[in-house]
Amino acid sequence: MFIDNREYIKALDAAGELVTINQEVDWDLEAGAIVRKVCEEKGPSPLMNKIKDYPGHRYFGAPLASYRKLAISLGLPPESSIPEIAAVYLERTNKEPVKPVLVDKSKAPCKENIFIGDKADMLELLPAPMVHEGDGGRYLSTWHFIVTKDPDNGDVNWGMYRQMVYDGKTMTGNLLPFSDGGKVFHGKYKPAGKAMPFATVIGPDPISAIAASAPAPMPETDFAGMLMGKPIELVKCETVDLEVPAHAEIIIEGEILPDVSLEEGPFGEYTGYRTSPRDFRQVYRVKAITFRNDPITTISNMGVPTDEGQLLRSFSLGLEMDKLLRSQGIPITGVYMMPESTHHLVIVGVKPIYTNIAAQIAQTVFGSKLGPWFHMVVVVDDKCDIYNFNEVLHALTTKCHPINGIHIWQGVGTPLYPFLSAAERTNSVGPKVLFDCTFPLNWDPMSEVPSLVSFKTVYPKEIQEKVLANWKNYGFKS
Amino acid sequence: MFKYDVYINSLADLPEEKEIKLSVRDLTPGKQRYAYKHVMAKVSADADKYPDKLQVRFGRGQIHSQPYSIQVMKEVSIIPERWL
Ligand SMILES: Cc1cc2nc3c(=O)[nH]c(=O)nc-3n(C[C@H](O)[C@H](O)[C@H](O)COP(=O)(O)O)c2cc1C
Repeated sequence: MFIDNREYIKALDAAGELVTINQEVDWDLEAGAIVRKVCEEKGPSPLMNKIKDYPGHRYFGAPLASYRKLAISLGLPPESSIPEIAAVYLERTNKEPVKPVLVDKSKAPCKENIFIGDKADMLELLPAPMVHEGDGGRYLSTWHFIVTKDPDNGDVNWGMYRQMVYDGKTMTGNLLPFSDGGKVFHGKYKPAGKAMPFATVIGPDPISAIAASAPAPMPETDFAGMLMGKPIELVKCETVDLEVPAHAEIIIEGEILPDVSLEEGPFGEYTGYRTSPRDFRQVYRVKAITFRNDPITTISNMGVPTDEGQLLRSFSLGLEMDKLLRSQGIPITGVYMMPESTHHLVIVGVKPIYTNIAAQIAQTVFGSKLGPWFHMVVVVDDKCDIYNFNEVLHALTTKCHPINGIHIWQGVGTPLYPFLSAAERTNSVGPKVLFDCTFPLNWDPMSEVPSLVSFKTVYPKEIQEKVLANWKNYGFKS
Repeated sequence: MFKYDVYINSLADLPEEKEIKLSVRDLTPGKQRYAYKHVMAKVSADADKYPDKLQVRFGRGQIHSQPYSIQVMKEVSIIPERWL
């Protein structure tokens, strides 16, 4: 596993998943356009070594926007299948939490350059990219995380919450109230009129980024340690009582103001649209900036599929649902959330042993902490391969009864849903739908249930074997 | 001559030829490009009326086809003293 992005970049290069760009790239749209095209073509990650106006700085784009890169980041062969990657993720994150360790400043590369107070000016020091034309500002934080602490119990949270550079000393962001960081800010610091200390980590190692973007059921420090198989090394911040990964590229320290809001957005979002209009949102004031020599700013470019937000959020949301449903004793065969759906659609396979099991599944996942982020649940039976979209689509269009099989609810939803009205968005309203693609259990299997007509289901075993054994002899190539 | 832009929800947010408070972005090329400034200013839909250029955008980034002009009277501080 990789202690930092630099080791990970080398592994991507060795696997043919990196393009090194040595000609100058403009931070103003050009870098963003490169990363966008890479996402849309599922291409290798660009490492840009020369950034206009910011000598010595580098960009690393689309760090994890494919299953191949995800496999590499977890130390698996690049060609691992999605179920193989999922099995490793589940195996590692079902073990005991692995607590982080604190290292001395002298062993922390993120302290190689330190700027405090007036000298900590983001516009002067850091090449925040203008990611998409029309964005409300330069988004420095697109593949990063923000470290905060619960003032009551000291629980640490790492959350990936976007940040826009407002001026040299100020960022604004959209800290949604149902995120873990949002709950502590909106529920504790803000009512007490206290500023919330934060540290933004830009260019974290790939595992820490995966942990921060996951709906982890524990402090992400420990969750990252479980995925990494060893403790994450942290170092103390300069100006706030927080710890950050010692091997990260760039750290920005400061506080979120409880009683000031400033304009943020619009921004090209993971749904593939610029949905949230410009609005007054949270204000981050900067106290210190530290970074490694030749620092590498990570860029994720959210838009139409597939970017790393869509891929990893789908991956981790789906697998946390898997754990949740199994913990309730529901006999699921697996859960797959499709990145192409911008993590809005999840497919759940189940052994339908009792009536209405699909509704129980949907209510459990919609009612959980994971619920605000997706709104479509497709439940298929255990004969359908949840990873095979053709099979799932066939089940959806042939087994889901348009009146009896589609159920709708009103729940909590992200304001980023493009289909919501302005009023729904303001009130976190999230409409939900279940597509039950299982045949009713009270149908007689012998006389009422339609039988599936496929090579595997309608031919006797000996015929199948004979045909397979003779396939090449018939003249077929494979 | 400077060039700024401003995001609005509707043109009613941009009354012409009277002093209004605006958040504008500085579009001067270089490291400070896109930094926000809070200003007292006058604006006009006549692109030549005031000394500086103003591009108008709507809430989701769409550019208004009509170029405006702006006269910045003064910059105002927006973050309360206690947080500076
Ligand atoms: C690239 C990216 C950007 C995100 N931006 C935000 C954001 O601005 N605000 C937010 O509340 N969630 C955002 N999210 C979703 C959170 O990262 C996600 O909810 C994550 O689980 C946060 O951890 P938490 O469960 O500790 O809140 C973003 C996710 C990704 C991948």
